[in-house]
Amino acid sequence: MSTLRVAVGFKVTPDYEALRAADWARLAAAESPESRAEATRFVRRVLGPFDEAALELALRLRDARAERGLETHLAAFSIAGREAHPFLKTLQALGYEPVCRVAPGAELDFAPPTTARLVAACAQRLGGDVLLLGERGGPGGSGTVPFLAAEVLGWPCVSGVTGLEPTEHERLRVTFASDDGPMRAVAVPPCVLAVGNAVVSMLRVPTLKERLAARGVPVAEHTAAGLGVDVAALLAGGPALTCLETIDRSRAGVVVPGETPADLARALYEDHLRARLEQP
Amino acid sequence: MTATRTLRVAAVLDASGPAAERHARALGGFLRDGLTLTGAQVEAVTHLFAAEDAGAAHLLAAPTHRVRHVRLPPHRPDVVAAALAAFQAGGGADLFVFPAGPRGAELASRLAARAGGSVLTGVLSATLAGDRLVCRRTVYSSHLTGELSLGPRPWCLVLDATWDDARADPPPEHAVEAAAHLSSGVVSAPPPLLQIERLPAPPTGDLEAARLLVVAGRGAGSRQGVDRIAAAAARMGAAFGVTRPVAMNGWAPPDRLIGVSGTRTAPDVCITAGVHGAPAFVWGVEHAGFIAAIDTDPAAPIALEADAVIEDDAVAVLEALADLAEDAPGPDPS
Repeated sequence: MSTLRVAVGFKVTPDYEALRAADWARLAAAESPESRAEATRFVRRVLGPFDEAALELALRLRDARAERGLETHLAAFSIAGREAHPFLKTLQALGYEPVCRVAPGAELDFAPPTTARLVAACAQRLGGDVLLLGERGGPGGSGTVPFLAAEVLGWPCVSGVTGLEPTEHERLRVTFASDDGPMRAVAVPPCVLAVGNAVVSMLRVPTLKERLAARGVPVAEHTAAGLGVDVAALLAGGPALTCLETIDRSRAGVVVPGETPADLARALYEDHLRARLEQP
Repeated sequence: MTATRTLRVAAVLDASGPAAERHARALGGFLRDGLTLTGAQVEAVTHLFAAEDAGAAHLLAAPTHRVRHVRLPPHRPDVVAAALAAFQAGGGADLFVFPAGPRGAELASRLAARAGGSVLTGVLSATLAGDRLVCRRTVYSSHLTGELSLGPRPWCLVLDATWDDARADPPPEHAVEAAAHLSSGVVSAPPPLLQIERLPAPPTGDLEAARLLVVAGRGAGSRQGVDRIAAAAARMGAAFGVTRPVAMNGWAPPDRLIGVSGTRTAPDVCITAGVHGAPAFVWGVEHAGFIAAIDTDPAAPIALEADAVIEDDAVAVLEALADLAEDAPGPDPS
């Protein structure tokens, strides 16, 4: 019996929903990657939503294969600073082993080709048959990293993945969103799978016992140079962010008066909706 | 006198699926309205990929006069990428434009990687300034707009999905060039996916065509809260959508999702119930004629993005609103 090796890459970002208009204005005015990072330093860190779904889908795939008597080896990595450490420890407790962090040595928010080179190098180092990623994330949110990493690896890539099921011969039945609607197909490893709007979106929480068991296990630390990637050279030829602007989506914001839900509904209906809804 | 330079532009259109017509309009709209040139003229060609057994009707949608027609097996992005790379190796283009969607993102990424070029997705507009191409797109989860100067050519741009709304007629006639030739080794390589089947598309037409839309957000509190909002929407004769957190919690089917990850709508009236107002959601309703927001959090961004705001329990207010709407006469048919 062979083992399927799945490497999951994830990104930790500031929780952008916690930022207010003034914070965004400050961030837009920041002139360097360092000052942009500083503008969000006070915000809590979260997993990218597509990355979180990828991490949970991998666990469910492991469980489904185990029911068939098949072994699955899960590894996780993040190209990030120290802020990724608590997330890596959680993943250790959930059974990801090894987990590793790659210190990029530079800001990669708007550098998908460089990120992709590091992601591909990690997948090669971890020896994955399947590289599982969120389809996009972070400030740039380009959605190109899975494809660029696949290109480096010489592997096919399926994006918009919403479901993963085991099937015969270490293959995977993949449900995904395409330009022409939802599709299902069999993917043959090695391959890159980029997770999109999966309903399975929340990462399970490890038990205290699982956390304690993983407490002494180290998180592997790598550098870009250690993986053979020259970040400075790659960044020199990449795109450059030249300007950020806030987006004005404001409308009138008239506060509807009233004390009770019935009062408020009547005021909204009579003052704002009735004429619009009765138009043919 | 300064000589006018020529920018060689290749629009890439996969005509093998139901998205083809929408994508053709997007490409035509961008070439007409989204690309700004100073001291340069465009020489444009459409690379039109279609199944080997397809007829010629799809050629009519091509957004440029010149068309390179390439017949390929279906579901083979690897072969399309190889065809584009072969074209580029033979002189190719300065700028490739792909419609929004995963297919465009894959082809643009693979072509840029193989040709030593640059890729950018979600492109709202592009300006050629000297030898630089500067593009605008939303960044930080649609909270900000960013301007990016691209690296080396070829520039491979994937359009923002808003270009799918473009109304651009194709040229009255086309000049079709010979199909590209690929080595048999590329075409006979094993396909990346096996046993491909198209699943029934969930019905979203009611959201796209809705005059009245009710959207439930995380403030509904639970699946039961969302169900009550959906029931109130039905009583009002409204289409029903949800935000990403609601769909991701499994409180409603994902095909009800409104926003960047789901459906873009343009109702006369949109009522949001318990919606926070993340930009990725607002993108999906920003063309609404009127937005009413009901939520308990007065500091939520939606309060600034709506025309009218109610600060109260969304489920209770919406159910009261449904009572009123049920009792009201319908639209005047005259």
